[in-house]
Amino acid sequence: MIGPLECAAAERLAGAIALAEASDDERKAYRAHLSRCQKCLREFGGEREIERVMSVLTRARDEERWEPALRLTPGRASARRGAWIVVATLAAALALVLGVRSLERPGAPVAVQAISAPEARALAALDTQTGPKREARAESLAVGGATFSTALQITVDRRGRPVRCRISTSSGDRAFDESICRAAMRARY
Amino acid sequence: MEACHGVDATAIAQARAESLVREYQTKLARYVRRMVGDAEVALDLTQDVFFSAYRMLQADPSRELSAGWLYRAATNAGISFLRRRRVLRILPLDREVDRSTWRVDERSAASVDLQAALARLAPEQSAALLLTSYAGYSSSEAAAILGTTPDAVRQRVCRAMRVLRAAMKEGMEG
Repeated sequence: MIGPLECAAAERLAGAIALAEASDDERKAYRAHLSRCQKCLREFGGEREIERVMSVLTRARDEERWEPALRLTPGRASARRGAWIVVATLAAALALVLGVRSLERPGAPVAVQAISAPEARALAALDTQTGPKREARAESLAVGGATFSTALQITVDRRGRPVRCRISTSSGDRAFDESICRAAMRARY
Repeated sequence: MEACHGVDATAIAQARAESLVREYQTKLARYVRRMVGDAEVALDLTQDVFFSAYRMLQADPSRELSAGWLYRAATNAGISFLRRRRVLRILPLDREVDRSTWRVDERSAASVDLQAALARLAPEQSAALLLTSYAGYSSSEAAAILGTTPDAVRQRVCRAMRVLRAAMKEGMEG
């Protein structure tokens, strides 16, 4: 009978094999366990199988070409900060609705589109790169599952700069409303 | 620390912080990107780590900040991001929206699959797996960074590996 303790030890052995840290004795112990435990054999696989799975990760690392360019030291308030504030506040809330209306087209119909959670993170921040396109200025962004929502109206000047943020429907959480407004005021439309 | 021979302490802090960014930004941001699955978030989080380092060096320009310190800060930031995002995951998804603009970092199908598989991991498993097989730390070094034991790291790596393996099998069958 193979007890849970033995399988827990097998997990550590499999981890050591995955990390190429296992000694010969550890490999032997793992093989011995697999010969008696179908469950671990099925779930983790043999040594070669473990190495094969791990090689996907090392290959991805070796083929990585993404070159991030970060700022060396903090200067003026980072534009990225906006996105981050909304991530934090979104986590506390479940939904928000943003209304963005241009001065040039007062009363224009507001299009509403549902967006996914990761997109909500970026869109809600209304960051320069992720905000509504310039040609589609009258726009509203909605995040579904509204158990908690904020509606706000951003007034935008001709050059796409936000000049005013007004909360039309409060979420009930003032800090949340304010942080959404702060993020929205950082964006360009 | 007192200014030595007229060299401004702030300048020392700045120079040290800048060299940390130059040396580690690529490794660290790539690691965080794999963890959170989003290049933009990874840049935000990594930038914050370097800004914290800068602030610490401003307070004490002689302070030692190792790669391990950077990885610990980045890991904590990544884990707390993933935990917060879990709340967001209950939001319904709408696939009608064009997602292409959001896929800034996946180029090949294999990369997408790996990222999808990594997204299934518990944050702690993800950190253990990536610190070791992606960032190149041993289980004892990763344990020191994560504040746990090498055995716990090995166990998390094993559990993460099991999830990846299952995802790869599904990928082959589907």
